[in-house]
Amino acid sequence: MTDYTDNDYALALGKEVAIADVDKELHLLWEEDKASTNASLVNLAVYSERNGAIIKNSEYVQIITREHACRALLIGVDRDNPEASIRAWITAHCHLSHGRKSVCCEQVAFQLTGRSTGRLRNTVFSHLSSDLPLVFWWQGELSSLFSERLYSLIDRFIFDSSEWSNPMEAYACVSEAMQSEQSLLPMDIEWTRSSQIRMAIAGLFDDPMAVNALEHVSDLKVVVHPEHRMAGLQLLAWVIQRTGWKRSSELSLDSDHGDVYYYETAEGSSLVAQVVTDPLSAPVGKMEFIAPGLELRVTRDTGSPYIRQELHAGEHRFERCTPSNSDDSAELVMNQLSRGGNNSLYCAMMPEFLGLLCDSQCY
Amino acid sequence: MKNPFRKDLESRSRPEACTVVIFGATGDLTHRKLIPALYNLQVEGALPAGVKIIGFARRDKSDQEFRLGLKEVNQKVSRSGHDDSIWEDYAENIHYHQSEFQDASGYARLSERLDEIDRERGGSGHRLFYIASAPEYFDDILANIKEAGINHNKKGFWSRVIVEKPFGTNLPTAKHLNKVVSKTFRERDTYRIDHYLGKETAQNIMVLRFANAIFEPLWNNRCIEQIQITCSENLGMEGGRGGYYDSSGAMRDMVQNHLLQLLSLVAMEPPTDLSADGVRDEKVKVLRSLRQWDTPELVAENVVRAQYVAGHVDGENVVGYRDEDRVDPESMTESYVALRVLVDTWRWSGVPFYVRMGKQLPKKATEISIHFKEPPTVLFNALSGGVPGGNVLVMRIQPDEGISLRMVSKIPGSSLRMEPVKMDFHYATSFGKGSPEAYERLLLDSMAGDATLFARRDEVEEAWKFIDHIHHAWHQSKETPVMSEYVAGTWGPKEADDLLGENGHKWRRL
Repeated sequence: MTDYTDNDYALALGKEVAIADVDKELHLLWEEDKASTNASLVNLAVYSERNGAIIKNSEYVQIITREHACRALLIGVDRDNPEASIRAWITAHCHLSHGRKSVCCEQVAFQLTGRSTGRLRNTVFSHLSSDLPLVFWWQGELSSLFSERLYSLIDRFIFDSSEWSNPMEAYACVSEAMQSEQSLLPMDIEWTRSSQIRMAIAGLFDDPMAVNALEHVSDLKVVVHPEHRMAGLQLLAWVIQRTGWKRSSELSLDSDHGDVYYYETAEGSSLVAQVVTDPLSAPVGKMEFIAPGLELRVTRDTGSPYIRQELHAGEHRFERCTPSNSDDSAELVMNQLSRGGNNSLYCAMMPEFLGLLCDSQCY
Repeated sequence: MKNPFRKDLESRSRPEACTVVIFGATGDLTHRKLIPALYNLQVEGALPAGVKIIGFARRDKSDQEFRLGLKEVNQKVSRSGHDDSIWEDYAENIHYHQSEFQDASGYARLSERLDEIDRERGGSGHRLFYIASAPEYFDDILANIKEAGINHNKKGFWSRVIVEKPFGTNLPTAKHLNKVVSKTFRERDTYRIDHYLGKETAQNIMVLRFANAIFEPLWNNRCIEQIQITCSENLGMEGGRGGYYDSSGAMRDMVQNHLLQLLSLVAMEPPTDLSADGVRDEKVKVLRSLRQWDTPELVAENVVRAQYVAGHVDGENVVGYRDEDRVDPESMTESYVALRVLVDTWRWSGVPFYVRMGKQLPKKATEISIHFKEPPTVLFNALSGGVPGGNVLVMRIQPDEGISLRMVSKIPGSSLRMEPVKMDFHYATSFGKGSPEAYERLLLDSMAGDATLFARRDEVEEAWKFIDHIHHAWHQSKETPVMSEYVAGTWGPKEADDLLGENGHKWRRL
């Protein structure tokens, strides 16, 4: 574990201030610089229990505020530390808007130690910008701090299911929170990782030949990096939910072929669907549909900024590059914030996905 | 069978893959707007897979030469920059088709080429014809499209046409063009493009009005004193535009289409739904309700026209309008127009809409300002200075898109003094990501069959009807209203200030 010095915190997080003086010091920050515009459309809280995460998260906020003006609250929590304490730093992230005026977003960083449930709500959240929605980005495993007292304040809850060691348990917590707070909107970064793949697949199935072959698909294959198996299962769940294909027998797990599922299309054709993990793959490396006389494929090489769409049906061949999702968490969060909406596609896919996840974990 | 993967993927109508045929493919519009717009859609992954582009023009070129010319311009103007890997894939689907616009055999060859592309697709495909040529070729192009039989498509596949402005030069020519178009394409397949409607802030007018509860109750003659729509340009006739402009003028070039479209969005009643016809039904009602300035006297009372004389703009000396390149030295074409428009509806009775457009004004700006009535000031009558002006809601269309609201506030201190203050929302500040170009949105909409942001036949004709009365008074009446002058770099002629002064109003200072 890296030990961060006060200097590291100050360099990344700005000026350390007394908790009681946060608002006063923020005002002073603006008085010092009359040339800048303070902007915020949302409150963005970034929560992590990892050592030193708020330093990295300040860099993330610097990236996110390029496109999404927000009041940022960075929250670092060390729950294992027996001593209860809280420290705060303030700074502003500024960007030139269209090469002209400087647009700045305030950031308040809190480092809490010890038991912190009450202080998180009472101290940290008293610094939200009023009337603006709260987007809460929870990093890592869900802990006992994710409770009704916390999620009742949240409008959009961002998490990354690829970081969870027990996804079933964690999804159950999120589901419970959604049932309790109807307005809570879940946003899974793992789902966003595949958004351009989904766009590319949907684009290929605009082709009349492809869509007509859909009911005759015999093989469906998704290749993902081992750390992003959730993304693979989500993609499969999305396809199943959209096509209405029915499971025809139980899952079989094969170390060489990953998770294998058997389905029947509405026209009664049988198909095999595989979610394969490959350590050399991009987070989501490939999605492929094979039908008699037709191959449809979307691929992304590791680290590539592009995905490749391919459709081969006899003489009819189509290939092109389209942009891929970034692998960077901040960019993925930006992508989520840009999309807005009620994430209906994700919510619609979830029951199928949880079924696949349960099968693969229970097998 | 429908593509099941599109559902809920995007919150917009789904664009469908098609072959886009651009007539006038060697022109500026194609190079600077259409091809970069389609390229940017490809960059964002929004362009449907399988879109093919055929450039139709007179000059002799190979596909490669055509692509190279497009690439050179795209590198300079593309909003998202230029990426060679994406361009190479994109450019593979761009082809050139050489033909005179009047040559029927060229369209027969085009038909064969479209069939060939359909065969490569494994069946049939949709077709989108974009007429971006000079207006004098519209008739020939449409007639030849019909003659070649490519205006109709096979069952289940559409053929649509996008027609660029100017959509006629007066009511008879607009009616003629509508007739020619309607002989070739059905109205529902006809998309008359007005790129102002594709701008983010123009689309936001409806959102501002109907998604916020606080504005609509005030949006009427009880609370609104006057409305101003301004389009100012700090350019003259650069780049050889004088020839076209001198035959058109500010009224026909900007007011008939863009500014009356903005006016109708501001003045319309809430539509029953957001369908294309739902919105356009309400817009056309506004245009039908415009009080007609149908005598030279009424035109003289309500419309000011002017030409600029030599002056300074942005620190540079500029010549007068009549001394511009390709402009008739005795021209009677207006480079500036200001008009008082009255919308005779229950909601707007008695509220003047002031519309102005001018060249060689101090800066480039298009905006709509809603000037609210002043409140009863009985409480503050005794104060020196009184209450400084009413509330003004400003929708900035370009540049620096955004919305501001002026209100009155107390100046801090022991005495009661008031000053106007401004609440300001800037798109660029709040949403760092740049807005898409208007053409991107409009091209996608036409591929998706969503005509909401395109002008309908009756809208175009109603707008011309209003404009034609004014033009008739200017050019064909015995006592033509005067042509005023303004110094380049100023905000227009004194007569335009007087037009508002009669009602105790002033132009908003931009």
